[in-house]
Amino acid sequence: MSGFLWTADHLGWGIFALAVFTGLWLLLSDFCWRLTRSRITRFAATMATGWIVGVALILFGFYIASR
Amino acid sequence: MILAVQIVILCLVAAAALLCAFYFPYPSPLIRRWLPPRKRWPEMQIRRWLKSGKFQRAFLRHFYSDPERAAPPGSTLLAPADGLVTSADVCGGIRYLVVALSFWDMHVQRSPVAGKVISVESHGDDFMDGEGREFAFLREKTCPVQKRLVIATDAGPVAVRLITSLAARRIETWVHEGEEVTRGQRIGRILLGSTVVLELPATAKLLVREGDRVWAGETSVAEGLTVP
Repeated sequence: MSGFLWTADHLGWGIFALAVFTGLWLLLSDFCWRLTRSRITRFAATMATGWIVGVALILFGFYIASR
Repeated sequence: MILAVQIVILCLVAAAALLCAFYFPYPSPLIRRWLPPRKRWPEMQIRRWLKSGKFQRAFLRHFYSDPERAAPPGSTLLAPADGLVTSADVCGGIRYLVVALSFWDMHVQRSPVAGKVISVESHGDDFMDGEGREFAFLREKTCPVQKRLVIATDAGPVAVRLITSLAARRIETWVHEGEEVTRGQRIGRILLGSTVVLELPATAKLLVREGDRVWAGETSVAEGLTVP
Protein backbone atom coordinates (compact mmCIF):
# COMPACT_ATOMS: atom_id res chain seq x y z
CA MET A 1 0.00 0.00 0.00
CA SER A 2 2.94 2.33 0.59
CA GLY A 3 3.69 2.23 -3.15
CA PHE A 4 0.13 3.36 -3.81
CA LEU A 5 0.56 6.68 -2.01
CA TRP A 6 4.26 7.35 -2.41
CA THR A 7 7.05 5.64 -4.25
CA ALA A 8 10.68 6.56 -4.88
CA ASP A 9 10.79 10.37 -4.87
CA HIS A 10 7.32 10.94 -6.33
CA LEU A 11 3.61 10.34 -5.78
CA GLY A 12 2.46 6.77 -6.10
CA TRP A 13 0.94 6.05 -9.49
CA GLY A 14 -2.19 4.71 -7.84
CA ILE A 15 -3.14 7.88 -5.98
CA PHE A 16 -1.99 10.01 -8.92
CA ALA A 17 -4.23 8.10 -11.34
CA LEU A 18 -7.13 8.37 -8.89
CA ALA A 19 -6.75 12.14 -8.55
CA VAL A 20 -6.46 12.74 -12.30
CA PHE A 21 -9.35 10.38 -13.07
CA THR A 22 -11.59 12.07 -10.50
CA GLY A 23 -10.84 15.53 -11.89
CA LEU A 24 -11.43 14.51 -15.49
CA TRP A 25 -14.59 12.60 -14.52
CA LEU A 26 -15.90 15.75 -12.87
CA LEU A 27 -15.33 17.72 -16.09
CA LEU A 28 -16.93 15.01 -18.18
CA SER A 29 -19.92 14.87 -15.83
CA ASP A 30 -20.40 18.64 -16.07
CA PHE A 31 -20.19 18.48 -19.88
CA CYS A 32 -22.62 15.55 -20.17
CA TRP A 33 -25.03 17.12 -17.70
CA ARG A 34 -25.31 20.20 -19.93
CA LEU A 35 -25.99 18.11 -23.00
CA THR A 36 -28.40 15.59 -21.55
CA ARG A 37 -32.05 16.12 -20.70
CA SER A 38 -32.32 13.31 -18.18
CA ARG A 39 -33.30 13.85 -14.57
CA ILE A 40 -30.50 14.95 -12.26
CA THR A 41 -30.93 12.02 -9.81
CA ARG A 42 -30.70 9.46 -12.59
CA PHE A 43 -27.78 11.24 -14.18
CA ALA A 44 -25.91 11.57 -10.86
CA ALA A 45 -26.42 7.87 -10.15
CA THR A 46 -25.05 6.97 -13.60
CA MET A 47 -21.98 9.16 -13.25
CA ALA A 48 -21.34 7.97 -9.67
CA THR A 49 -21.52 4.37 -10.87
CA GLY A 50 -19.06 5.21 -13.64
CA TRP A 51 -16.72 6.81 -11.13
CA ILE A 52 -16.86 3.76 -8.85
CA VAL A 53 -16.12 1.44 -11.78
CA GLY A 54 -13.20 3.67 -12.82
CA VAL A 55 -11.76 3.72 -9.30
CA ALA A 56 -12.17 -0.05 -9.03
CA LEU A 57 -10.31 -0.52 -12.32
CA ILE A 58 -7.47 1.74 -11.16
CA LEU A 59 -7.19 -0.16 -7.85
CA PHE A 60 -7.33 -3.47 -9.66
CA GLY A 61 -4.68 -2.33 -12.16
CA PHE A 62 -2.45 -1.16 -9.33
CA TYR A 63 -2.95 -4.49 -7.53
CA ILE A 64 -2.03 -6.47 -10.66
CA ALA A 65 1.01 -4.28 -11.38
CA SER A 66 2.36 -4.50 -7.86
CA ARG A 67 2.04 -8.28 -7.47
CA MET B 1 11.48 15.23 -12.22
CA ILE B 2 8.56 12.80 -12.18
CA LEU B 3 7.21 14.49 -9.07
CA ALA B 4 7.32 17.89 -10.80
CA VAL B 5 5.41 16.54 -13.79
CA GLN B 6 2.85 14.94 -11.47
CA ILE B 7 2.38 18.20 -9.57
CA VAL B 8 1.92 20.18 -12.80
CA ILE B 9 -0.70 17.71 -14.06
CA LEU B 10 -2.54 17.73 -10.73
CA CYS B 11 -2.49 21.54 -10.70
CA LEU B 12 -4.00 21.62 -14.21
CA VAL B 13 -6.75 19.19 -13.20
CA ALA B 14 -7.42 21.19 -10.03
CA ALA B 15 -7.57 24.44 -12.02
CA ALA B 16 -10.08 22.86 -14.42
CA ALA B 17 -12.25 21.75 -11.48
CA LEU B 18 -12.00 25.20 -9.89
CA LEU B 19 -13.07 26.84 -13.16
CA CYS B 20 -16.12 24.58 -13.21
CA ALA B 21 -17.02 25.61 -9.67
CA PHE B 22 -16.31 29.31 -10.32
CA TYR B 23 -18.56 29.51 -13.39
CA PHE B 24 -21.33 27.25 -12.06
CA PRO B 25 -24.23 27.15 -12.94
CA TYR B 26 -22.92 28.45 -16.28
CA PRO B 27 -20.52 26.37 -18.37
CA SER B 28 -16.81 26.64 -17.75
CA PRO B 29 -14.71 28.13 -20.59
CA LEU B 30 -13.03 24.74 -20.93
CA ILE B 31 -16.17 22.98 -22.13
CA ARG B 32 -18.07 25.94 -23.58
CA ARG B 33 -16.76 25.61 -27.12
CA TRP B 34 -18.20 22.12 -27.53
CA LEU B 35 -21.71 23.06 -26.45
CA PRO B 36 -24.49 24.27 -28.77
CA PRO B 37 -25.23 28.03 -28.47
CA ARG B 38 -28.28 27.63 -26.24
CA LYS B 39 -26.28 25.58 -23.76
CA ARG B 40 -23.11 27.63 -24.16
CA TRP B 41 -24.80 30.86 -23.14
CA PRO B 42 -27.88 30.09 -21.01
CA GLU B 43 -30.66 32.66 -21.19
CA MET B 44 -30.29 33.51 -17.50
CA GLN B 45 -26.67 34.44 -18.11
CA ILE B 46 -27.54 36.60 -21.12
CA ARG B 47 -30.18 38.45 -19.09
CA ARG B 48 -27.53 39.19 -16.45
CA TRP B 49 -25.27 40.60 -19.17
CA LEU B 50 -28.15 42.73 -20.43
CA LYS B 51 -28.51 44.29 -16.99
CA SER B 52 -24.80 44.87 -16.50
CA GLY B 53 -24.08 45.80 -20.12
CA LYS B 54 -21.08 43.46 -20.19
CA PHE B 55 -21.09 40.53 -22.57
CA GLN B 56 -18.72 37.71 -23.28
CA ARG B 57 -16.84 38.46 -26.48
CA ALA B 58 -17.52 35.00 -27.85
CA PHE B 59 -21.26 35.56 -27.38
CA LEU B 60 -21.10 38.91 -29.17
CA ARG B 61 -19.17 37.34 -32.03
CA HIS B 62 -21.91 34.72 -32.30
CA PHE B 63 -24.63 37.35 -32.00
CA TYR B 64 -23.17 39.59 -34.70
CA SER B 65 -22.58 36.71 -37.09
CA ASP B 66 -23.83 37.36 -40.59
CA PRO B 67 -23.60 34.17 -42.63
CA GLU B 68 -24.17 34.09 -46.35
CA ARG B 69 -27.59 32.82 -47.41
CA ALA B 70 -28.71 31.46 -50.76
CA ALA B 71 -32.23 32.45 -51.77
CA PRO B 72 -34.19 29.58 -53.33
CA PRO B 73 -35.13 30.02 -56.98
CA GLY B 74 -38.61 31.27 -57.79
CA SER B 75 -40.67 34.23 -56.71
CA THR B 76 -41.85 33.11 -53.29
CA LEU B 77 -41.64 35.51 -50.38
CA LEU B 78 -38.71 34.72 -48.12
CA ALA B 79 -38.54 34.89 -44.37
CA PRO B 80 -37.14 38.27 -43.32
CA ALA B 81 -35.49 36.90 -40.19
CA ASP B 82 -34.30 33.77 -38.43
CA GLY B 83 -36.66 32.54 -35.75
CA LEU B 84 -39.97 30.93 -34.95
CA VAL B 85 -43.26 31.85 -36.59
CA THR B 86 -45.49 32.82 -33.69
CA SER B 87 -48.57 34.07 -35.52
CA ALA B 88 -49.94 34.85 -38.96
CA ASP B 89 -53.14 36.76 -38.27
CA VAL B 90 -55.06 38.71 -40.89
CA CYS B 91 -56.32 42.19 -40.13
CA GLY B 92 -57.73 44.65 -42.61
CA GLY B 93 -56.70 42.62 -45.65
CA ILE B 94 -53.10 42.35 -44.48
CA ARG B 95 -51.51 39.24 -43.09
CA TYR B 96 -49.05 39.87 -40.26
CA LEU B 97 -46.49 37.07 -40.20
CA VAL B 98 -44.66 37.37 -36.90
CA VAL B 99 -41.19 35.88 -36.55
CA ALA B 100 -39.81 35.79 -33.02
CA LEU B 101 -36.04 35.84 -32.68
CA SER B 102 -34.21 34.36 -29.75
CA PHE B 103 -30.88 35.47 -28.28
CA TRP B 104 -29.15 32.73 -30.26
CA ASP B 105 -30.58 33.55 -33.67
CA MET B 106 -28.72 35.42 -36.36
CA HIS B 107 -29.98 39.01 -36.13
CA VAL B 108 -29.52 40.28 -39.68
CA GLN B 109 -32.76 40.75 -41.60
CA ARG B 110 -33.19 40.16 -45.30
CA SER B 111 -35.62 41.39 -47.89
CA PRO B 112 -38.47 38.94 -48.56
CA VAL B 113 -38.98 40.22 -52.11
CA ALA B 114 -37.27 42.08 -54.90
CA GLY B 115 -38.54 45.62 -55.30
CA LYS B 116 -38.02 49.25 -54.53
CA VAL B 117 -37.88 50.59 -50.98
CA ILE B 118 -40.53 53.27 -50.83
CA SER B 119 -40.26 54.15 -47.16
CA VAL B 120 -38.22 53.53 -44.03
CA GLU B 121 -40.27 54.72 -41.08
CA SER B 122 -39.19 54.93 -37.46
CA HIS B 123 -41.63 54.49 -34.63
CA GLY B 124 -40.88 55.16 -30.99
CA ASP B 125 -42.70 54.08 -27.88
CA ASP B 126 -45.57 56.43 -28.75
CA PHE B 127 -46.51 53.96 -31.46
CA MET B 128 -48.31 51.99 -28.78
CA ASP B 129 -51.00 54.65 -28.68
CA GLY B 130 -51.76 54.26 -32.32
CA GLU B 131 -52.70 51.58 -34.77
CA GLY B 132 -50.60 48.77 -33.41
CA ARG B 133 -52.18 48.29 -30.01
CA GLU B 134 -54.47 45.49 -31.09
CA PHE B 135 -51.63 43.25 -32.20
CA ALA B 136 -50.32 40.65 -29.83
CA PHE B 137 -46.76 41.08 -31.04
CA LEU B 138 -46.86 44.69 -29.85
CA ARG B 139 -48.86 44.10 -26.68
CA GLU B 140 -46.16 41.77 -25.42
CA LYS B 141 -43.62 44.58 -25.50
CA THR B 142 -43.97 47.34 -22.95
CA CYS B 143 -42.34 49.99 -25.12
CA PRO B 144 -41.63 48.77 -28.63
CA VAL B 145 -39.28 50.60 -30.91
CA GLN B 146 -39.73 49.91 -34.59
CA LYS B 147 -38.47 50.46 -38.08
CA ARG B 148 -40.94 49.72 -40.85
CA LEU B 149 -39.58 49.20 -44.33
CA VAL B 150 -42.06 49.23 -47.17
CA ILE B 151 -40.98 47.57 -50.40
CA ALA B 152 -42.95 48.15 -53.59
CA THR B 153 -43.36 45.12 -55.80
CA ASP B 154 -45.31 44.54 -59.00
CA ALA B 155 -48.03 42.95 -56.86
CA GLY B 156 -48.26 45.77 -54.35
CA PRO B 157 -46.36 46.85 -51.26
CA VAL B 158 -44.87 44.42 -48.77
CA ALA B 159 -43.62 45.72 -45.44
CA VAL B 160 -41.11 44.45 -42.91
CA ARG B 161 -41.26 45.68 -39.34
CA LEU B 162 -38.16 45.35 -37.19
CA ILE B 163 -39.24 45.53 -33.57
CA THR B 164 -37.26 45.73 -30.39
CA SER B 165 -37.92 46.90 -26.86
CA LEU B 166 -37.10 50.28 -25.42
CA ALA B 167 -34.36 48.60 -23.37
CA ALA B 168 -32.46 47.55 -26.48
CA ARG B 169 -33.82 50.22 -28.87
CA ARG B 170 -31.10 49.74 -31.45
CA ILE B 171 -32.16 48.96 -34.97
CA GLU B 172 -29.90 49.42 -37.96
CA THR B 173 -31.35 49.70 -41.45
CA TRP B 174 -29.03 49.29 -44.38
CA VAL B 175 -31.32 50.39 -47.22
CA HIS B 176 -32.71 53.79 -48.10
CA GLU B 177 -35.84 55.12 -49.71
CA GLY B 178 -35.71 54.74 -53.46
CA GLU B 179 -33.17 51.92 -53.35
CA GLU B 180 -33.79 48.77 -55.35
CA VAL B 181 -33.42 45.62 -53.28
CA THR B 182 -33.04 42.07 -54.41
CA ARG B 183 -34.76 39.05 -52.94
CA GLY B 184 -32.80 37.94 -49.88
CA GLN B 185 -30.67 41.09 -49.69
CA ARG B 186 -29.59 42.27 -46.26
CA ILE B 187 -31.83 45.14 -45.13
CA GLY B 188 -30.92 45.69 -41.50
CA ARG B 189 -30.16 44.33 -38.09
CA ILE B 190 -31.87 44.49 -34.71
CA LEU B 191 -29.36 44.58 -31.91
CA LEU B 192 -30.70 42.38 -29.12
CA GLY B 193 -34.07 42.66 -30.77
CA SER B 194 -36.71 40.07 -30.75
CA THR B 195 -39.43 40.40 -33.36
CA VAL B 196 -39.74 40.85 -37.08
CA VAL B 197 -43.14 41.16 -38.73
CA LEU B 198 -43.75 40.63 -42.41
CA GLU B 199 -46.84 42.39 -43.71
CA LEU B 200 -48.16 40.87 -46.91
CA PRO B 201 -51.49 40.82 -48.73
CA ALA B 202 -53.96 38.39 -47.16
CA THR B 203 -54.47 36.84 -50.58
CA ALA B 204 -50.93 35.42 -50.64
CA LYS B 205 -50.77 31.70 -49.90
CA LEU B 206 -48.88 31.01 -46.69
CA LEU B 207 -46.26 28.24 -46.83
CA VAL B 208 -45.43 28.15 -43.12
CA ARG B 209 -47.46 27.56 -40.00
CA GLU B 210 -47.33 28.79 -36.45
CA GLY B 211 -44.42 27.12 -34.66
CA ASP B 212 -42.34 26.63 -37.82
CA ARG B 213 -38.68 27.52 -37.77
CA VAL B 214 -37.60 29.89 -40.56
CA TRP B 215 -34.26 31.21 -41.82
CA ALA B 216 -33.81 34.71 -43.21
CA GLY B 217 -33.40 34.80 -46.97
CA GLU B 218 -33.69 31.02 -47.30
CA THR B 219 -37.12 29.87 -46.15
CA SER B 220 -40.06 30.52 -48.44
CA VAL B 221 -42.93 31.73 -46.29
CA ALA B 222 -45.58 32.68 -48.86
CA GLU B 223 -46.36 32.58 -52.55
CA GLY B 224 -48.98 33.78 -54.92
CA LEU B 225 -48.47 37.53 -54.83
CA THR B 226 -50.66 38.60 -57.72
CA VAL B 227 -50.80 41.80 -59.68
CA PRO B 228 -54.07 43.53 -58.76
